[in-house]
Amino acid sequence: MSVDVSDTTLDLRGVICPLNWVKARLALEPLEPGDALRLRLDPGEALENVPRSARDEGHRADVAGDLVTIVKG
Amino acid sequence: MTLSEAELERYSRQLVLPEWSGGAQERLRDASAIVVGAGALGSPAATYLVAAGVGRVGVVDSDAVELSNLHRQPLHFTPDIGGGKAESAAAKLSLLNTEATVEPYPVRLEEMNAAAIVAGADVVVDCSDSFSTRYLVNDACCGERVPLVEAGVLAFSGLVMSIRPGESACYRCAFPTPPPEGSVPSCREAGVLGAMAGIVGSIQALEALKLLTGVGEPLLDRILQLEGASMDQLIVTTRRRDNCPACAQVPATAAVGA
Repeated sequence: MSVDVSDTTLDLRGVICPLNWVKARLALEPLEPGDALRLRLDPGEALENVPRSARDEGHRADVAGDLVTIVKG
Repeated sequence: MTLSEAELERYSRQLVLPEWSGGAQERLRDASAIVVGAGALGSPAATYLVAAGVGRVGVVDSDAVELSNLHRQPLHFTPDIGGGKAESAAAKLSLLNTEATVEPYPVRLEEMNAAAIVAGADVVVDCSDSFSTRYLVNDACCGERVPLVEAGVLAFSGLVMSIRPGESACYRCAFPTPPPEGSVPSCREAGVLGAMAGIVGSIQALEALKLLTGVGEPLLDRILQLEGASMDQLIVTTRRRDNCPACAQVPATAAVGA
């Protein structure tokens, strides 16, 4: 069963690359495949890189504004 | 205990590795390593273990720093000449990573203290420079069931193998008898380039990190041979001997979960 942890949105605004992705990865670690993690990111480099890193590691990443939803793969 | 903000930043470039994880980093922090020898191999090996976040690193060496050491032992600096190598190494390593506990062991590893030195460690990295010490370290690690990274370097040639006692070939399985006394020149006679020792010691650190975290595939039952002059590399497979006096009776060690 998938769990929506959207109420624990990780606010990573102001956290620079690659530390934002490090924090997102650590938050993903205990989750089960199919679980979702929501991140708030700075526009620009962060919003470009973090979803791409997530996809590179086999997760799904949906971007809506500065909000990114990662579904663990 | 989770990783602190400072740890996240310090280790961020390895924490972004797809193969790595917070769990791997925490395993390193909880781990204890012994580096036997603070010389040409021990300098890079201990440096990368401490830098990567191994929580406790003991450095065993009874020698004093000499001028002729400095070209290949970059943990020691010119003002350290005459002082103890274990203390010189520990001082630099403690500054490199303030999260780590670095303990100097200013003693010579011998038959009577080998087991006590390696007991309780999660990995031993053998950076000693003599065959007799290498067999002592191997036998003590087999007896105490401590995973071990063995290596040697001479001139432009290097050799590395990792050992999980009871599971993979030990040094004595691969090399049952030491070479006859005097048949292999020592580094004092044959010479060695610091950069070559640096490569081999760095490989030892990488192997130890793999053994500690479960990430990657250590050189178990495999011996890596490097020729620095040509950059030829060769992996020779080896296996346990049923009659090995060091490891035949040793039950398998618990593997580290990824």
